Amino acid sequence: MSMIEFKNVDKYYGNFHALKNINLKVEKGEVVVLIGPSGSGKSTLIRTINGLEDISNGQLIVNNYDLSDKKTDMNKIRKDVGMVFQHFNLYENKTVLENIMLAPRIVLHKDEAENKKYALELLEMVGLSSKAESYPRMLSGGQKQRVAIARSLAMQPKCILFDEPTSALDPEMIDDVLDVMKTVAERGITMVVVTHEMGFAREVGNRIVFLADGEILEDDDTETFFKNPKEERARQFLSKIITHK
Amino acid sequence: MSTFEQAYSWINLRFLLEGLWVTLEVSVISIVLSFIIGLVLGVIRYVKIKYLSAAVGFLIDIIRNLPLLLIIFFTYFGLPELGLRMTPMLAAVTALVVFESAMLAEIVRSGIQAVPVGQMEGARSSGLTYVQAMWHIIMPQALQKMIPPLVSQFISLVKDTSLATIIVLPELLYHAQIIYSQNTTYMVPMYLMIAVMYFVVCYCLSLVARRLEKRYG
Repeated sequence: MSMIEFKNVDKYYGNFHALKNINLKVEKGEVVVLIGPSGSGKSTLIRTINGLEDISNGQLIVNNYDLSDKKTDMNKIRKDVGMVFQHFNLYENKTVLENIMLAPRIVLHKDEAENKKYALELLEMVGLSSKAESYPRMLSGGQKQRVAIARSLAMQPKCILFDEPTSALDPEMIDDVLDVMKTVAERGITMVVVTHEMGFAREVGNRIVFLADGEILEDDDTETFFKNPKEERARQFLSKIITHK
Repeated sequence: MSTFEQAYSWINLRFLLEGLWVTLEVSVISIVLSFIIGLVLGVIRYVKIKYLSAAVGFLIDIIRNLPLLLIIFFTYFGLPELGLRMTPMLAAVTALVVFESAMLAEIVRSGIQAVPVGQMEGARSSGLTYVQAMWHIIMPQALQKMIPPLVSQFISLVKDTSLATIIVLPELLYHAQIIYSQNTTYMVPMYLMIAVMYFVVCYCLSLVARRLEKRYG
C-alpha cells in the first residue's frame, strides 16, 4: 500500500477550483517535493493530507485511512502524519520541552520518563539541548522550526508534511533547518515537502511534483525533472527561480 | 476641621465599613458567578454550535446594550409583578450577574479569537482532539490575553454595585447616605471617605492584574 494516494481529487473554495483532478501516489519512505508558483495549490494540497483542508470530490487514502469518508477519525491519521508549518506554530504557552512532550503524553499516553528521554534526544538531534526550558518567543525562527520538527518527530510518525518550512526564515537560518530535514529523510520517514529550496529538492527529493493553477503538470523523478522538464511552465518556473538565487 | 472629626466618629466609620463589607460581598459573589457564566457563554459563542451560539449571541447583544440600572429596576421592581420577589441583596447579585456575564462573554470570545489559528492547527496536526487543543493550548493563551480587559470589567462591577443603593441594598454608598441624611454637613466628609474606600478596593484589583500580567505575560 502507498502511504498517500490521491484519486481524482478536486477541491473548491466556493466557486474557486483550487485543486483540479489530482492523482498522486507517495510510497512509504519517499521524499516528494511539491513545487510551483504561488497560488498553485501546493499548500492546499499538502493540507488535505492531514485533513486541515477537506476535499470536495474524489478519494484520498492516507496510511490506509480513507479521508474522503466522513466517518474516518482524523485524529488517528494525525497520530502517524506530522506537520511542520511555515510559521512554526509552536505552543506559545509551553516550554520547548513541553511542546515536544505534550502530544505523546495526551495522545499516545506515553510513559512520562520515556517521553522526556526521547524528547531530550530529539532536542539534541536538532542541536537545541540548551533550549529545553526556553519558551518559543525566546527562540529565533530557525530554532523554532527545528523545535517544530522535533515536536513532530516525537509522535514517531510514518510521514511528515512540510509546508514551506524555510520560507519565513532569514537566509542564514535556512541551512540548519534543511540539515535537520535531511536527517529526517535518512530515518526513512515519508516526507512531502512544499518548498522553494531547489538545492534541497535536488539533493533529498526522490520525486518532484510541479503544480500550477491547481493542477499537477509534471510528476517526475528528481533527475529527470531538473535535467529535462517536459512542461514549458515548469521550465519557465525553474529558470526564474534559479536566476533569482 | 471639627466637622470632619465628628463625621469620622468611630461609630460612623464602623457603619461605613459594614456597608463596604456588603459591597465586597456582592462584588465577590457577582465576579465569581459572572466569570463562570461568561466563560461558558463566551466559549459557546466562539465554537459556533448550531442555533445555540446564535441564540446566546442574540441575548448577549440585548443585555449588553441595556443600562445596568434598568436591569436592576427590572429585577427588583419588575419581577415581583411577574410573581418573583427577591431581597435587595439577591436582586442586586442577580442583576449584576446577568449584566456582567454578557459583558464578560464578549471579552472571553474575543480573547479566544485573539489566539492565532496556527496554535489550533499545530495542536490538531499533532493528533490532539478539538477539546484537548482548547484545554491545553488555546484557553491558557486566551485567558492570559483576557487579563487586562477582565480586570477592568471587574473594577466596573465593583463600582456598579453602588447602583444598588437605589433598591436599598445596604452597601457602602447607601450607608454613607444614611449618615449624611441625618447631618448634611457630613455630606462632603462621607463622599471623600467612600471615594477613598472604592479607590483602595479597585486599585488593589488593578495591582493584582498587573501582577498576573507580569507572571503570565
